[in-house]
Amino acid sequence: MKKENQIPEVDIVVDHEAGVIREVKPEKLRSKKGHERRVNTSIYVLLTVMSIIWLAPFVFLVLQSFRCESGGQVNYLLPKQWGLDNYVFLFTESNFPRWFMNTLTIGLVVAVVQTVIQLSVSYTLSRMRFRGRKLFMKAVLVLGMFPGFLTMICLYFLLKQLGMTQAGAIPGLILIYVASSGMGYHISKGFFDTIPKSLDESARIDGATRFQVFLKIIMPLAKPIVIYTILMAFMAPWGDYVFASYVAFGKASSYNVAVGLYQWVNTNDFQGYFTRFCAGGVIVAIPITALLLALQKYYVEGVTGGTVKG
Amino acid sequence: MTDLEYFKLSKPAKMWHNLLTSLRNLPKSVLGKIKSFFMFFVHLFVGFFNEIKDIVLTYKNGDWKTRVSFTVMGFGSCARGQWLRGLLFFAFQTVFNLYIIFFGGAYLAKFNTLGTVATTRKGRVTVYGDNSFLILLYGILTIFFVLAFIYTWRMNVKQNKLAEEVLKAGKKLKYAKDDISGLLDSQFHKTLMALPTLGIFVFTVLPIIFMILVAFTNYDANHQSPTNLFTWVGLQNFRDLFSTANANYANSFGQVLLWTLIWAFFATFLNYFLGMLVAIMINKKGIKLKKMWRTILVMTIAIPQFVSLLYVSKMFAADGLVNSYLMRWGWIERPLPFWTDPAWAQITVIIINIWIGIPYLMLIATGILMNIPADLYESARIDGANAVQTYGKITLPYMLFVTGPYLLTSFIGNINNFNVIFLLTQGKPDVLGNKAGATDLLITWLYSLTVEDTNYKMAACIGIIVFVVCAAISLVVYNFMPSVKNEEDFQ
Amino acid sequence: MACVKLEHVKKIYDGGVVAVQDFNLEIKDKEFVVFVGPSGCGKSTTLRMIAGLEDISEGTLTIGERVVNDVEPKDRDIAMVFQNYALYPHITVYENMAFPLRIRKMKNDEIHRRVCQAAEILGITEYLGRKPKNLSGGQRQRVAIGRAIVREPQVFLMDEPLSNLDAKLRNQMRAEIILLRKRLDTTFIYVTHDQTEAMTLGDRIVIMKDGFIQQVGTPEEVFDTPHNLFVAGFIGAPQMNIFEAKLDKRTDGYHVLLQDMDLKLDEDKCKLLENNGVKSMDKVLLGVRPEHMTACSESETNCVKGTIMVNEMMGSELHLHVATGMPKNTILRLPTVDLTSAERAALVAGNKLSFTFASKVVQLFDPESEQSLLYK
Repeated sequence: MKKENQIPEVDIVVDHEAGVIREVKPEKLRSKKGHERRVNTSIYVLLTVMSIIWLAPFVFLVLQSFRCESGGQVNYLLPKQWGLDNYVFLFTESNFPRWFMNTLTIGLVVAVVQTVIQLSVSYTLSRMRFRGRKLFMKAVLVLGMFPGFLTMICLYFLLKQLGMTQAGAIPGLILIYVASSGMGYHISKGFFDTIPKSLDESARIDGATRFQVFLKIIMPLAKPIVIYTILMAFMAPWGDYVFASYVAFGKASSYNVAVGLYQWVNTNDFQGYFTRFCAGGVIVAIPITALLLALQKYYVEGVTGGTVKG
Repeated sequence: MTDLEYFKLSKPAKMWHNLLTSLRNLPKSVLGKIKSFFMFFVHLFVGFFNEIKDIVLTYKNGDWKTRVSFTVMGFGSCARGQWLRGLLFFAFQTVFNLYIIFFGGAYLAKFNTLGTVATTRKGRVTVYGDNSFLILLYGILTIFFVLAFIYTWRMNVKQNKLAEEVLKAGKKLKYAKDDISGLLDSQFHKTLMALPTLGIFVFTVLPIIFMILVAFTNYDANHQSPTNLFTWVGLQNFRDLFSTANANYANSFGQVLLWTLIWAFFATFLNYFLGMLVAIMINKKGIKLKKMWRTILVMTIAIPQFVSLLYVSKMFAADGLVNSYLMRWGWIERPLPFWTDPAWAQITVIIINIWIGIPYLMLIATGILMNIPADLYESARIDGANAVQTYGKITLPYMLFVTGPYLLTSFIGNINNFNVIFLLTQGKPDVLGNKAGATDLLITWLYSLTVEDTNYKMAACIGIIVFVVCAAISLVVYNFMPSVKNEEDFQ
Repeated sequence: MACVKLEHVKKIYDGGVVAVQDFNLEIKDKEFVVFVGPSGCGKSTTLRMIAGLEDISEGTLTIGERVVNDVEPKDRDIAMVFQNYALYPHITVYENMAFPLRIRKMKNDEIHRRVCQAAEILGITEYLGRKPKNLSGGQRQRVAIGRAIVREPQVFLMDEPLSNLDAKLRNQMRAEIILLRKRLDTTFIYVTHDQTEAMTLGDRIVIMKDGFIQQVGTPEEVFDTPHNLFVAGFIGAPQMNIFEAKLDKRTDGYHVLLQDMDLKLDEDKCKLLENNGVKSMDKVLLGVRPEHMTACSESETNCVKGTIMVNEMMGSELHLHVATGMPKNTILRLPTVDLTSAERAALVAGNKLSFTFASKVVQLFDPESEQSLLYK
């Protein structure tokens, strides 16, 4: 970007009669410059409006979380009485700390296990050719077209047999999230595919076993994708409502934040709990947002890489 | 027609020509598909026959160690010193036998009826009969176990044959030490894939097959195990789904399916083009603070959807912020029916979904825009193209080509986009009957049927339909889009 | 000790594509063998089979005394240099070169000694602390070679190691490889598509096409007596000129008739043709290298007449493309030292030129089988 800015603004024009390409000096393009300025101004206006639309709900959310005079929906934005009542409630009178810890535990464990599984699978599929490789990839493609909730009833039963529902919902949920992580190999496989195969071959000739190649050559080079995978694995459990509510059914101490806060808004008398939901939302959103923004570079790399590689 | 003649044609003539050619080739390609389908079975049959022949020959030509292995698995391997393999074979056989005798066999026997002995109450005591649910689930498990056993047995026979050949050639067999060190080297893929595959099998494949089979039973609120039995009903559920009689499922289903496709179309393409537009605006030369604009949008991705969507859903409720401010400013008299009127609700979810989707697509588009080689633009500029032409001839085709596979995945993802609909409307307003609402996608309808109605059989049917829809779309797109066809193209 | 033997080696890929057909070759200890051929001829596949990176579909491969078909690459005691260098980007040059030794759990002192020695030989001591991305192409290639020589392997494999370098650097590295080879004195197998590299480096050259070996021989052999049309065209630059001519067997021996030219073949060639039972042929492919052509004056009769289409001044020599009425232009390569300035001024596009060649230098090929008729 910077380099481009240093290039003097000249335009190139093809002069057909003379059969040459001419550079037209900026003076001659003054009207064009004015046009350019108008375009840029309208883009700035648009982007500003967009930013407001995109940020507004979150600003409202934060504002309402500080409202003390009533807990329900009201027809005004700025609290009449500012205070931390809702936050105090969260941490002293409700199950929220428990839910938060539940979700954090799930997130951390899933982040580790899922990353290990996903990287193993994608490395294998990217680097090794073996019988059943194509079959595996096709099977994952086909399985992915079935809606996930279809399996819910059956999974619930399987978990129940293992004692991992209601009170034991946390390990149960971890198991569900982690079990099929082998199916999400695409993005990291796409990344591994870009690491030249000759590095593997060279290391193998140098005497490394495939395990050593994986550990000593590929892993150090895969840092961006490792971080991306961990980030994604960690973030997913925070938003899951369906499985979490089904597995923890009725046992409030096993809820994750999504289930707990959802119940506050929808099933309880939400008029009283609305501002508390807002406060809870803020508490959940802050660490996640901070994490994503801190690792934005890796996130963007993973998202764009995954799309292009398919 | 030669290539040169083709180039001379005008645009409509080219399209007409292409259409004619593809129509002319249609019978051939369909025939080809049928033939390859048929050949698949021929190959399967021939392969099966060859396997049998090989097994017989192995027995006939094998030594006594091999022959004993036919009944006691792993014997030959142990006798030849490959004790690790041998013991594993033997252990598997033992486990399998015990499983069938003490557990699986009973379930398998009842698999064709899913149980006949009903649960009864004798006074105050409940006497439990057959549990159809368990019979179905363990029946499937047992069938898989049997298939696995056949495969393992075949491997055991093959191992014996191989070992005999190796010994005859005077070479060394692979012993336990080689087997174990191989797991970190030449057989490393087995080490890495074993656990993930097992996980996928137990927690995805098994449940999916279970639910596919449920679609062919009468498992619903009136047939709940263990109190009641359920049993096979063939295609009855699908007939119900497509019939207008009784509950008129056909109407609900048709409307939900139509809305699902409309939704997926808008959710995919509106987001795609608007996201690209935003990306182009932010990345335009001369626009400052690029990083800030981008970060503002990325922030909205980070906030968990259940927070943002639930909040936005409340914002648009009858007594929500939007309506109350509009009324206070005197723009409207009564609250706008964002969630209560079917058409309003449908449009509102599509618009809010744009709000969710643009940041994500902006990132993707930015990544791709940066990858377009700069010399393409330079060459276009020298050729005299203006901004709009450059966009139409270079940016857009490049984007479409590169993101072809993504568009497909995204379309399928939107068919299954549970979160947005569920958190915003839960499918409401419920106007279509059978628990279906105006904004219900197939997937959210499936969810309501399961959780609220315990109508598992219908939920399973819809699940299968979702699969069929997704598979059909993918197949069509795969056949028309070159960039998704070949995995190696992107390597 | 470290001879490499390939017997009936064949490579068939999963799709049924045959990359290498019935490859037989015995590479002697301390020999420098070059596989050369156009892309897709199977030369790299063969090398990769020797390295153990590709499975061998059929046949046996022996390194030293050992059949290594099923031996993992790491246990074959070979080292390989890749076209794209394949340096590990995340570690320094020193660690790159130490990597194979560390994997083998060698003592630190020994590793240090060997790395320093190799760095010394290759003149990269000052870069040992750098990461590969901070090196130029030539330096990277040296590191890659260094990583191979610290191993002191039985056999060196090199897969187009100079292709990614620019022309000047390539010539320099080529000379260095010759020196290195003298110093290491071990078996080398070198793959390239560049016939100059093959000619200058190899003790023996293996020329391949479409998975088949076309000819194996010393640089002199393949240059002077190509076994077939392909080898004749592949070795030597610019390419050998091929004419459609007539072969006439007369009482005084064989004559080649090309346009107005009647060339009587010398004794040796006649004997060879006689031994191979060649009769008079209406159509025979006659090959003459551009450097074996001589321009002749207008008055001479026994020569081919034509018009100069293009003249390329190369400095020490002049390349002339001459149209003779035959399908392809004939190329002449004339040393400039021998030409007077008047002569040189006459050798420009548009002027007439006659040329001739001696019987000693011609090659004859069967137009159907494209095999040499002068096969011993």
